[in-house]
Amino acid sequence: MDADSDVALDILITNVVCVFRTRCHLNLRKIALEGANVIYKRDVGKVLMKLRKPRITATIWSSGKVICTGATSEEEAKFGARRLARSLQKLGFQVIFTDFKVVNVLAVCNMPFEIRLPEFTKKNRPHASYEPELHPAVCYRIKPLRATLQIFSTGSITVTGPNVKAVASAVEQIYPFVFESRK
Amino acid sequence: MAEQRCCPECGSASLVEDSHYGQHQLVCASCGCVLAEGFLTTTHTDEERLREVSYSKSTGQKEQLSQFLNRGIRRVRDLCRVLRLPTVFEETAVSYFQRAVQHPCFHQVSLEKKELLAGCCVFVTCRQHNWPLLVGTICSLLYAKQDLFAGVLQSLQKELGISVPALSLADMVKTHLNSFQLFQPKDNIPVQFVEDKEQLVARTLELVELASETWLVTGRRPVPIVTAAAFLAWQSLQPSSRLSCTLKHFCKLADIELPPPAYLRLKEFLEILLRMASQLPWLRVLKLDKKTVVKHIEDLLQHRVFLLKNAFCMEGEEEQSAAGPGEGSLGEDSAGKGSPGQDSAGSPPQAVKPEKSCPSGGKGWPEGSRRPLLPPCLLYPRKRLRSVAPSVAEAAVTGLEPICDKELEQYLRSPEEIRALQ
Repeated sequence: MDADSDVALDILITNVVCVFRTRCHLNLRKIALEGANVIYKRDVGKVLMKLRKPRITATIWSSGKVICTGATSEEEAKFGARRLARSLQKLGFQVIFTDFKVVNVLAVCNMPFEIRLPEFTKKNRPHASYEPELHPAVCYRIKPLRATLQIFSTGSITVTGPNVKAVASAVEQIYPFVFESRK
Repeated sequence: MAEQRCCPECGSASLVEDSHYGQHQLVCASCGCVLAEGFLTTTHTDEERLREVSYSKSTGQKEQLSQFLNRGIRRVRDLCRVLRLPTVFEETAVSYFQRAVQHPCFHQVSLEKKELLAGCCVFVTCRQHNWPLLVGTICSLLYAKQDLFAGVLQSLQKELGISVPALSLADMVKTHLNSFQLFQPKDNIPVQFVEDKEQLVARTLELVELASETWLVTGRRPVPIVTAAAFLAWQSLQPSSRLSCTLKHFCKLADIELPPPAYLRLKEFLEILLRMASQLPWLRVLKLDKKTVVKHIEDLLQHRVFLLKNAFCMEGEEEQSAAGPGEGSLGEDSAGKGSPGQDSAGSPPQAVKPEKSCPSGGKGWPEGSRRPLLPPCLLYPRKRLRSVAPSVAEAAVTGLEPICDKELEQYLRSPEEIRALQ
């Protein structure tokens, strides 16, 4: 196996986190009373609302800020966020869907080989840090992409980044380094 | 004005003007009676426009920072003394602490984090000098959680730009075994259980090296592995009298804490040793089990390289074992090249994957066949590996589809439900 030969790697996006603003104050008590699939956390001052399709959980604050988690693509995140804004409009609030932004993408990728973590860490300091007493994976940061990768000895890699493109670039960048330290 | 007035108490004419705490006062020099007081401010309008000064902007903040620094430096020095570290380490750790305190991310944090910062500085210093200090030791000294320690350590590395070298397992083994109480005869330790330190350290090191070659060390906490290796090494040095002793009893005799994963690590060790023993000719005739294989650890370690090669499939031979386990292991010359009957030899990822992700086959590798040398979590996976491909309908989502009201009705309560709740 050569690092340059084409190997198809499946990058599976497991979570996309996005935010948007409604540009109006939201009465959390009213949302809790009139909305279905809603959990009101009065002590923290937020409401959790779950959508079935797409499978998204939204955290709603009274200031009008909403965070949506659980989508599996950026488009699905926008799809769910718009539905949520429309639901809030139906409840009687003057909602304007603005400042939509995808803030975090979490993806998983499996390499077809095992990785020797101590060797990988030695070759890739200071970007890589490995503390087996604290966590079984190597934490590798790519500053220009603002991406963090957790590399496990089984070849499984968990990537978090600001968007899907950054995540894909991060996997492309890390492949030659993990290939060097493969079993 | 002052000369014309007399004190109403004693009648004395000796009055003085005094400014006590910045407040102007007229005081009798004989009896101390205060005749008149001035305002603290110069004008009445100044008092009306009083503004609060936040604590962070007042000089109190600087004093508190210096208190944090002084207390922290004392803590660092105390930790170094408790751990009996050389003076050079103390100075380095103090300098790291002084540098860390300048960064605002360590200013307004909880006391626990401030204590941990001192511990992290000591920890980083020890690692940089290859001194085998464990995270568990620092956390137990500071009564802190390891998660919090990890967070503070990461922040410290990021802010100061320092790298923490990896822990040397060999040094860690020697340090951990130093704390064992099995090297001197004592009242509670039978004579046959006392062991020579050098021999125990040497045998344990060999077992730990074997563990690192067989994927038992990567990604795992080191202390349970060292404890299990030390137990096996101790048993193998005098098996006749020590085979009946359990791991729990061993830890009690050695006066060390038994880490819960040590049982699992011991089980994995014994599985590896049994597989290796099946390749040794003079052991093949004996029916070895988890107890009796310990007697032959010396022989197994002596011929470790040969036995590992014969007992386990190494890289390149996995493709052949994935193609047909009934064919048996081919010669090493054909390793990696692929046999003619092998399908899709040009795509090694697909060939390797079924071998990696076979949960049911993991438990049933027959004794004669060669098991692949993989991490235990791949051989015996606890959960199904995720492989969900996005469906065509989901892939076509753009996010800008029109929203129909019927879809949203499921998220809104009906008026009857609202009335019932109210």
